[in-house]
Amino acid sequence: MGSAKPLIFSIQHFCLHDGPGIRSLVFFKGCPLRCIWCQNIESWKQEPEIAFKAHLCINCGRCVEKCPEHAFSEVGKRNSRFCRYCFTCTDNCPSGALTRFGVSKSVEDLMEELRPEFSLFKTSGGGVTFTGGEPTLYPEFSSALAKNLHAEGIDVTLETCGLFNLEKIRPLLQELQLMFFDIKVFDEARHRKLCGAGNTDIKNNLKSLVNDWNKKSGPFVWPRLPIVPDMTDGYDNIKGWAGFLNDLGISFLTIVPYHPMGANKRRWLGLPPTHNLRIPTDEEIHSIERLFLNEGIKVYKPGGENIKEHYTGA
Amino acid sequence: MSSLPHIAPSTNPENLIQSEGFIPPTPRITAIRTELLSTPYSICLERPKLLEEFWRSKKGRQSAKTEHPFVHRALGLQYIFSHRKPRIYDGELIIGNMTSKRIAPNYYIEGGSINILEDITHLGKRTIPLKLTGRETLELLRIGLQNSFKSVGAKAVLRPSRFSYFLDFFRAKRYFVTEEAGIGHQVGNYRMVVQEGLLYPYEEAQQRLTEGKLADGSLLNADQKEFFRSVIVTIDGIRKMAENLADEAGELALQPGVTEKRKVELLESAKACRHVPFEPARTYLEGLQAVWLVHMALNLEDFEQGLSFGRLDQILLPLYRNDIVQGRLTPELATEITASFCLKACETIPLYSERIDKFYSGNGVAQALTLGGTDAEGNDVTNELSGLFLHAYAQVLTREPAVHVRIHPLTPDWFFHKSIELLQLGSSRPSLFGDTAIVRALEEAGMTKAHARDYAVIGCVEMASQGRTYNSSDATLFNLPLCLELALNEGKKFHGKARIEGPRRFGAPTPPVSALKTFDDVMEAFRSQVLHGIDDMVKVISWLEEAYRAIRTTPVNSIMTQGCLDKGKDVTWGGGLYDYTSIQAAGLADAGDSLYILNKVVFEDKRFNLEEFVRILRDNFRGREDLRVELANKYPRYGNGNSAADRMTQLAADAFADALWAHKNTRGGQYVPGFYSMTCHVGFGKVTGALPNGRLNGTRLSNGLAPIDGSERLGPTAVLRSAASLDSKRWMNCYALNMKFDKQVVQGETGRKALVHLFKNYFAQGGMQVQVNVLDTETLKAAKKDPSSYPGIVVRVAGYCAYFNDLQPDVQDEIIERTPHGIG
Repeated sequence: MGSAKPLIFSIQHFCLHDGPGIRSLVFFKGCPLRCIWCQNIESWKQEPEIAFKAHLCINCGRCVEKCPEHAFSEVGKRNSRFCRYCFTCTDNCPSGALTRFGVSKSVEDLMEELRPEFSLFKTSGGGVTFTGGEPTLYPEFSSALAKNLHAEGIDVTLETCGLFNLEKIRPLLQELQLMFFDIKVFDEARHRKLCGAGNTDIKNNLKSLVNDWNKKSGPFVWPRLPIVPDMTDGYDNIKGWAGFLNDLGISFLTIVPYHPMGANKRRWLGLPPTHNLRIPTDEEIHSIERLFLNEGIKVYKPGGENIKEHYTGA
Repeated sequence: MSSLPHIAPSTNPENLIQSEGFIPPTPRITAIRTELLSTPYSICLERPKLLEEFWRSKKGRQSAKTEHPFVHRALGLQYIFSHRKPRIYDGELIIGNMTSKRIAPNYYIEGGSINILEDITHLGKRTIPLKLTGRETLELLRIGLQNSFKSVGAKAVLRPSRFSYFLDFFRAKRYFVTEEAGIGHQVGNYRMVVQEGLLYPYEEAQQRLTEGKLADGSLLNADQKEFFRSVIVTIDGIRKMAENLADEAGELALQPGVTEKRKVELLESAKACRHVPFEPARTYLEGLQAVWLVHMALNLEDFEQGLSFGRLDQILLPLYRNDIVQGRLTPELATEITASFCLKACETIPLYSERIDKFYSGNGVAQALTLGGTDAEGNDVTNELSGLFLHAYAQVLTREPAVHVRIHPLTPDWFFHKSIELLQLGSSRPSLFGDTAIVRALEEAGMTKAHARDYAVIGCVEMASQGRTYNSSDATLFNLPLCLELALNEGKKFHGKARIEGPRRFGAPTPPVSALKTFDDVMEAFRSQVLHGIDDMVKVISWLEEAYRAIRTTPVNSIMTQGCLDKGKDVTWGGGLYDYTSIQAAGLADAGDSLYILNKVVFEDKRFNLEEFVRILRDNFRGREDLRVELANKYPRYGNGNSAADRMTQLAADAFADALWAHKNTRGGQYVPGFYSMTCHVGFGKVTGALPNGRLNGTRLSNGLAPIDGSERLGPTAVLRSAASLDSKRWMNCYALNMKFDKQVVQGETGRKALVHLFKNYFAQGGMQVQVNVLDTETLKAAKKDPSSYPGIVVRVAGYCAYFNDLQPDVQDEIIERTPHGIG
């Protein structure tokens, strides 16, 4: 990991739930975690991928006909063993049923793509949010992009899974006022099982970043916790994180209730569906809010964070 | 209504109006609303019967022989006004029945009402049923048939030499002439009605007749004398209508069983109707009552479309403030009176046959209120009454009236936020208008800056300087993409239905495709087709204008339009201070995108030569579905902030604007363009062949200024950027930019703030208008069942936005069931 030039798998404008104001999201491809509830499954691999959205296919046969490797046995059906990822199929697919996830873009490309939104960022107090995937996999690139944006007066926010080499991303952190730091499973072994990696480094990173903020030498850190029934919503998990946050002097967090709306992406990428996942009920959400509140931690929903209140209070 | 967020009554009126939430409706308002929503529609035959009665009467027969047509017409109107039966409904605070039925359109003998006879056998079984007794149905049939040659439309085109135009009328391929039904579409001088009363034009007319001179000292000619007489006759009729209502209210007040409270209200209404609209209004209630009475008169005179109220938050403000200071009124009570006024607007609907409904679906007549904005010097004049009207509308959330809000750089935040909060309730009101771009376009069309700044919206989006303008603002809807089809086929459609039209050329005889060697040649042919279509259309409209002047002058409208009394002329004779005829184009984005793609694949990339490509279009992409889908999906489109694609949309719009600006109407008024399509984009779509952008023969065209459904790939910010980037300086009649948002995306304070910033930015970039649908779960459920009726709904899925209709059914369900956690 650490290749200089990332692939971007999406840029999305008019986002209201990933930081203050109106924001554009830049999705970096590649993630060190493999959370089983992940709804952006196309973000995992750093390499480009080809998805097939069967419902858009018009059965024209262009993919079968044009593929130089003859990797398509029938329309939309690609044998990845033969595929050399030349993207002839996605380029020629008329409907977009065959879609490429992950395009290499330069800092300049991204600046130009984002520039039309700048005035809206400025009037709304918004900006750009780096998300993914994991933007910190590309420390040089992401800090260069952030620096360029910052130079034009654009606010940059980061959403991270927390698993990174802190020293390597210091230049990026210098460009940020705020970062969303995802916490998931408190128990190390369980974290390893559900998210594909341990959480010791994540916890240490969170601790260091909060210390830096307290010393005014880093961005403001805002934790977020996905609520996945039977995985992250247990009493011990909530108590564990509440205690951890309290020790750090953090009295707020955002909870992100699980939703299954990325489920169709698994199908597009030919992956089996996940089981045992469901949307938390209102009651479950309320009881988690109460648990945190009892520990002195205020709970927010995405987009509803009163960042100023805590920012100035810190 | 139960979902309305209520706020506790407050002692501080400013807080009450400005803070979050809406004043809850009183039981009275809820009751009237409930009754209106459960009342079946009918057709009112009172007006045609009274008019026939007048024509048959001794006085009527005599006036037909001896009186000038102006006066004969005014006497007819006077007869209708003074003989119609007053009806006052339970609980209402503003009185005056639109028709003899609770909810009904008028039947206008002189207008286009006759189209309803197409549905005569199944009136009760239409999509929008009209409930008539058997006797009424027969009466309707008799009235329709007996008077079928008395309409303006018949008078204009029923001549052998005009037969082909008559056919164009009915085929409605290139254009659809609304003006045949009436002009309507007016924002009358309600400032005069409220502040001076009809007393002012009445005395003015008397003085002109006494002096025998116009105000400028020139001698009156015979027509001018008769015009002033028609003003007096008409105002006498309106006074009588108000008096009859006052009598009825007085009688009702004395009925046994009337509560003391209701009795006081009825006597108050009686008092008001004996005073206004002839005398200046003394209270807020009288002000609204005066507006309503004159609005009724305008409806009875011409036809009901687009008759609008203007800037009532400005006009009524002095009365409102005075009532508050005097302790006669509270904001809550004023809101109730205003809500009662809004509900009166629900009493009318348009009379369309199902054939015509394809073009104007939705059953609205758009009686528009315009709120906020600036004074003549450009100072913000948004006030507490602007906010109060929003509260009143939030209590009713009915199809009528249309509520429009003016946004300018100094619009106070609370009002912008309140407007968006009203939008969040899901009624698609208010529409937002950008003062900067609109005032610029109005000045370009010849208005003074001060008059341009006093603009108010006519109906949906059209423009007037209130009380000064005669704008036949919805004269015709024009099918712009069809001109490209004609340009690619020597002025003929790709396929004409045999027998009826065969391969008839009805466009300009432009060169065959083999002779179109460059894109400029194609553009030239396109422009020729637009010009030719507009020329034909202008001809038809000029005949209508003649017919109006001859048999259907509009004295009420003339009283309500500055300039007429000065010139001694009816508006139909060119009396208005400003005069325009406005034509709206449908399918702008289809035309623009098609030009872009045609240029790209034929002239730039040379994938096909023009003849091959046109053959594919002519064959409606038969056997080339892959190409069609590719053209629709993989090429730049208008609405994505792509300047090359947007430039082509501008070119298409310019061709239309050039053709119109080259014409003046027979009153001397300028032809101007606008871009909105009612539902004409559906009707026109049915008669338009395949287009280079992958659109199939017969399918819907793009709507107003909006991108083609499904082609706005980058979300709302890019759509607004594209729209604002178009040069709208010559688009005097404005445009409609429709946007749809999933409620989940834009709910709550976060969503409200975001929309405020989004639109503030849009108007700063030069946007003229935007209207927003905030869609709730119910709508999404309906869209799942019937996708074709709900195109273009953008929903936020995980990490991406998608068209609801493009999603798999299970994902659609997930979105419908999405709990309101604010999932991003």
